[in-house]
Amino acid sequence: MLNPDMRQIAIYGKGGIGKSTIAANLSVALAQGSKEIMQVGCDPKRDSTRNLTGGRLIPTVLDTLRDCLRRGRDQHSIELEQIVFPGSAGVHCVEAGGPEPGIGCAGRGVLTAIQILRDLDAYRTYELDLVIYDVLGDVVCGGFAQPIREGFAREIFLVCSGEFMSLYAANNIARAIERLSRRGQARLSGLICNSRGHPTLEKLVLEAVAKRMGTQLVGFIPRSQSIGRCEVEGITVMEGAPESEAAGAFRTLSERVLATEGGVIPAPLELEELEHIYRHCAREEGS
Amino acid sequence: MNDLSQPMSSEYSEGAPSACHDPYLRCAFFGAAQTVTGIRRACVLSHSPQGCDQLVNTAFGWQQTDYLATKSLCSKLCEDEIVHGGEATLAKVIEDARAFSVSAVFVLTACGPEMVGDDIVAVCQEMAADVPFQLVPIECAGFRGTQYDGIDIALHGLLNQLVENPGEPMDKIPDSVILIAPHASANPSWPGDLSWVEDILERFGLTVLASLTHGTGLEQLRDIGRAQYSLMLTHDCGYRTETLLADRWDIRPLLPTSALNRSQRLPLPVGFSNTGRWLQRLGQVLDKEDLAQKMVVQGEQFAVEQLRRQGLPYEFFNGAQVAILADATLAVPLLGMLAEDLECEPVAVGIRSRAPELHALVRDECDRVAISPRIETGVGVYETAQILSAAKPDVIIGSNIERHLAEDLGIPYVLRVVNPVARFRLTNREYFGYHGFLNLMEIMQNDWWDTFRSKKRHNRAHWLDGRGEGVEP
Ligand SMILES: Nc1ncnc2c1ncn2[C@@H]1O[C@H](COP(=O)(O)OP(=O)(O)OP(=O)(O)O)[C@@H](O)[C@H]1O
Ligand SMILES: [Mg+2]
Repeated sequence: MLNPDMRQIAIYGKGGIGKSTIAANLSVALAQGSKEIMQVGCDPKRDSTRNLTGGRLIPTVLDTLRDCLRRGRDQHSIELEQIVFPGSAGVHCVEAGGPEPGIGCAGRGVLTAIQILRDLDAYRTYELDLVIYDVLGDVVCGGFAQPIREGFAREIFLVCSGEFMSLYAANNIARAIERLSRRGQARLSGLICNSRGHPTLEKLVLEAVAKRMGTQLVGFIPRSQSIGRCEVEGITVMEGAPESEAAGAFRTLSERVLATEGGVIPAPLELEELEHIYRHCAREEGS
Repeated sequence: MNDLSQPMSSEYSEGAPSACHDPYLRCAFFGAAQTVTGIRRACVLSHSPQGCDQLVNTAFGWQQTDYLATKSLCSKLCEDEIVHGGEATLAKVIEDARAFSVSAVFVLTACGPEMVGDDIVAVCQEMAADVPFQLVPIECAGFRGTQYDGIDIALHGLLNQLVENPGEPMDKIPDSVILIAPHASANPSWPGDLSWVEDILERFGLTVLASLTHGTGLEQLRDIGRAQYSLMLTHDCGYRTETLLADRWDIRPLLPTSALNRSQRLPLPVGFSNTGRWLQRLGQVLDKEDLAQKMVVQGEQFAVEQLRRQGLPYEFFNGAQVAILADATLAVPLLGMLAEDLECEPVAVGIRSRAPELHALVRDECDRVAISPRIETGVGVYETAQILSAAKPDVIIGSNIERHLAEDLGIPYVLRVVNPVARFRLTNREYFGYHGFLNLMEIMQNDWWDTFRSKKRHNRAHWLDGRGEGVEP
């Protein structure tokens, strides 16, 4: 049965900011709270679910589709088991996949992959409560916005650190959300801070920026060595270091995510304003 | 029996470019254009580089649209719009449409703008209140599939955006019918077929409320929910439309094509026996069996007398091995017509489209007339060549394309009844019904004669042993 309350969440943010790390730990935290979760990696790198599958890279939807097409078949001949893999804590793992770097259109690929999941009725089959889309890097072209545009991802969380350029990237994505909200139901649900180790400044800046955009800071993940250590083993800190501070932060984040409702059409900032807020907070922290 | 659920053998599909089978079928954009050019007093705006607009022109021709009544515009996208997005350009061109007095503007997207993420739906929604016409966005980028997929996409767009849907049962207009996708037929006969069907329905006391689509008015479209019945005029697409009409507005299919009940599926009325069966079934459904019987008797008498008087030497068909290469709309009924009416043996069938519903229909037809041809769906020209060289038929029923293939393969007779036929026509002549049966026979007879119209071909045909193998004199 399709859960009428099924939620679809997308995690966006600057490249390398920690989206996949947050997505995977959030998935496990939610699944441990006995929710049916699916994590869809929307990135040709296909590393989103790596920490959910013991470090193994699972076959991608688009590779499987290609294989079918080459044999004269279409997406309807794909079995769900070929593209959905069980991961830690029972999270259902999917990697969209995509073209090799420098060729093709990865954005369009992401949409094709998600449409296949829908066509094959994956959401109903696994009776999901929540789907997390881990979308790569910045919204560099119209293609990457497709998961939002086509009405798949409704609630968007932006990951940033306190670093200025990560805010700049998040602000650009907010601009895309504002643009796309004209048509779809996509809304900004909040910012998540993935700390680079300056918690006071980071909290000050992100809270100010969130407020100005019309949203709130929903989570703060500390910089943690356990994350790197677990990554080598291909596991999440939720499993590899459940007692760590980071794991605690992910649990809190998962509760906040479950509690957030709706979201806003964000009001993106001008560059000068962003700089101004940043300088102001830096001064405040210093004093 | 052929297992249609199996993919084509790897020998044929190795390296085949996914679902695109060139050049029989055009793309989804074309199918959508074919569909919306069937709406009167509207404007078709192709949000595309200007090359795609040529497809809209071709669609105008196919729909026999009046250029004065239906307008066309193109946003003529260039590099700048592909790099920065073309929404602003689209908005400007929509403004241009104010110059026409039209009630609706259909905005169709081609591949480029859909790849780069132009949101035509949002642009249309934003401008809707300010323009004196209804804006109907249809996302039909060519890469979404074949022209048949495009027809399905556009029909859904029309039904979702233009038809009244109060969410509760509407007052029905008794004995009214919606015709589904008459224009999907790949045969030059389709406007004639449509008139024939309209005429027959009228004789059964039914009124055609609207065709989806051909010369359809917007007011007719709005009222579609009040229809009592639907009727499919193609086997290639439209199945989803039939279901949608039934589910949303309780419009019952007169002759359900996607019916699970085997005895209910019926090929379109092409050929002597098929026409009889089709009319009789209609009679049963409408409880007018006597009238149907009268039509059948009269029609059969007319056809038989005509054939007798004109002395048609069609016995060359008798026992001949035939390959059918056509759209499903013609190929499915041809199975029965060839086997029953002309007593020849269909040995291979290549169908251009690949609707899943097709499979059961084809299988049932083959079982019914006890033939077991090789059957392939979704074929392109390459697959056709493979089918023909394996089957080596005496006769091909197909299009001008197969004529060229046949020359290489030494198959003597190619009867061209499917688009493209390379024959100029000024009048609409149908394939449906008894008259249509004679039209088909006439074309086939002429093409058969043509085979002998050159000394070289005459000699070739003369010395072939019927299996395509040359025999030395
Ligand atoms: N809170 C943290 N503490 C320590 N290391 C972290 C933390 N968050 C992420 N990392 C590390 O940063 C690196 C990048 O993280 P991740 O792959 O999750 O980023 P991403 O945003 O998904 O990147 P991409 O944009 O390339 O997909 C990883 O090696 C990860 O272990
Ligand atoms: Mg990542």
